[in-house]
Amino acid sequence: MKTFITFIVSLTLSFYVNEIQANSSLKANFIKGNPNITSIHKMTFGPEGILFIGDSNAAQIVAIDLSEHPKLDNSEVKIDQLDEVIADMMGTTVDQIQITDMVVNPENNNIYLSIQHSSGVPILLRVEENVLKQVPLDNVSFSKTTLSDPVSEEAKDRRGRKLRKWAVADIKYMNGKVLLSGLSNQEFASTFRSIDFPFNEKQTYSSLEIYHAAHGKYETHAPIKAFIPTSINGTQHLVAGYTCTPLVIFPMDKIEPGKHSKGRTVAELGSGNSPVDMIEIENEGNRYLLIANNNRPLMKMDFKDLEAYQGSLTTPVTKKGAAVGVDYVNLPFVNVHQLDKLGDGGFLIIQRETNGNLALKTGNSWWVK
Amino acid sequence: MNPIYILLTLTCIVSEMFSQTSSGFTFSKNQIIISQDISTNENILVYKGEIIEDRLSTATPILGKTINEGKKTKFIPLVPFTFNQKYTLTYNNSVEYFMLPIPANYDFLSIKEVYPTSLSLPANLLKLYIRFSKPISIVNLYDNIYFKSPSGDTLSRAILPLENALISEDGTLLTLWIEPGRQKRGLKPNQQFGPVFNIQEKYQLVISKAIKDQNGVSMTKDFVRFFQIVNEDRRKPSVGDWEIQIPSINSLSNLVIKCNESLDYGSIQDNIVIIKGNNQEVDGIWQLLANETLLSFKPIKPWEKDNYQILFDPGIEDLAGNNLGRLFDTNVNYTSKDDIKIEPYKLEFNIK
Repeated sequence: MKTFITFIVSLTLSFYVNEIQANSSLKANFIKGNPNITSIHKMTFGPEGILFIGDSNAAQIVAIDLSEHPKLDNSEVKIDQLDEVIADMMGTTVDQIQITDMVVNPENNNIYLSIQHSSGVPILLRVEENVLKQVPLDNVSFSKTTLSDPVSEEAKDRRGRKLRKWAVADIKYMNGKVLLSGLSNQEFASTFRSIDFPFNEKQTYSSLEIYHAAHGKYETHAPIKAFIPTSINGTQHLVAGYTCTPLVIFPMDKIEPGKHSKGRTVAELGSGNSPVDMIEIENEGNRYLLIANNNRPLMKMDFKDLEAYQGSLTTPVTKKGAAVGVDYVNLPFVNVHQLDKLGDGGFLIIQRETNGNLALKTGNSWWVK
Repeated sequence: MNPIYILLTLTCIVSEMFSQTSSGFTFSKNQIIISQDISTNENILVYKGEIIEDRLSTATPILGKTINEGKKTKFIPLVPFTFNQKYTLTYNNSVEYFMLPIPANYDFLSIKEVYPTSLSLPANLLKLYIRFSKPISIVNLYDNIYFKSPSGDTLSRAILPLENALISEDGTLLTLWIEPGRQKRGLKPNQQFGPVFNIQEKYQLVISKAIKDQNGVSMTKDFVRFFQIVNEDRRKPSVGDWEIQIPSINSLSNLVIKCNESLDYGSIQDNIVIIKGNNQEVDGIWQLLANETLLSFKPIKPWEKDNYQILFDPGIEDLAGNNLGRLFDTNVNYTSKDDIKIEPYKLEFNIK
């Protein structure tokens, strides 16, 4: 009996120590204070309640520890007139605010919204029992890194490039790396960054090119609008949606620092359309890709179809507005401005409904079963 | 309770911008100060709009901090108060109303310049830069900048909208991409919709007065510029064809470079350096003149007898995004990595 108790105590301690070590490994460099966030354009959660914020204005990525927020249900979340509510909280009118992103912490279902106000003050809000609460950003546990300028580093020149700006388009975390896509005001190109986390001096850049072999007369660099890292046929891939709507996949092991990578175009999501957000949902062993768009309804693509499609779209779509490649279905959710996963197999949206109401609400998970 | 609007003469000072007073409190864009003691257990609450007392319990208070400082209590709103917006203030069982009007001497936002300045632009124009008189709000920015066709219709899909506008650090210079997917051959939008502009036609750039500064105050009038579209530019700028007007020794005369075509305003900034024979950088100020076809450099110290090199970053572009090193539309069949030059381009001159 004594041995058994000793074993249980050892096991418990072992878990505890492992947990401490896990925490300390990712948050060891965190300090308490004001990270001086100047803008919040894109956000994503990593493990242990770490929120990564893409701050384009200050050219920095800030990781903040939000693990102290309590676990919530939020499965029935619904906030109507969301823009009006936020404007009231800011004491201003709807035209002076913009919801720049929405993310859910997968570990505790807390929902966060980032807001841009005309004054430039960045604001982070959290949802609790259908009420928005401010998350102060002036005294948090954080770590941050500056986005270096790949062009001037490569050129090793003496010029300052004061005008250069790089706007974060999407940000994701995967296996100790923060992945970023974005667009600068100087090159129309698909700079893709990978930054080690915990942050160190290492940042790598590659460019991910859409390649149309049959009509590839002109190189077609273009920025990635939204992406997710995922597994396709058992290996790590990047699924990327471009501003000009092709859906392109890249094997992660082929994305090398400083190199061009040519992806395989697997779908066209309709002309005049641009992806807004992408998530992967798993339900009862089935995996689905959900894509929110600025000019099409919410789309659902079955990973089985994506994995089975071995081709690459190489010819222009001749029928205007047509969508080709991997099959997908349009879900009955139009004007979805923000999208993220919520709980096991659910999803959360901010949608401009047909009556004009901007609603934060859950999507019916029946559609992804 | 009847509302009491407090509209007092403004005292505009730097730290307490647009501060106003009433008998019990003062308010400005950034704070409310209550001069009497209030219970430390009771926060000041501020609401948007004029809200009657009975409805305060269901209204949403404005986010902000209450700070007690001896005999003063401050409320600092999370974001500055908006001009011409009515507010309700409650403290110590009092309900007060206030509003900040736009000051009579307010410095309204205006447009100082739009680059390129030429009124004749290539059909494959790639970027525009708008220089504002003061920092702007980037909220809902793209709704307020558009092109009109010769028939007066607004062009659709003409400017690349970004959730995250490309604005300079000081908030006054905005970079806009003319929808690159349409301007660049080989991309789907180009194939499906064609390029944004038609050759020989006349368009208007309209920047609506609805664009706001960071105080949320709009411009007083729309900005409109007419321009004519000419043939596409499919040639790289060639430094070798540029002419230098060499300044005379011991003078502070400008060094002038005639570039044969309009250059992209943004790509020029901080991307040209003059080096003396001893590898020392020559300090001075660059200007882009004559529709961005002339580069003019004014030295801080008089020119000395020496050999000089002018180094141009390969990323310097013309109006169609063709830079010194490559065309915007690069034919992949004829381009190798070796063609992409990252070393600066040079022009040399001597002052004797």
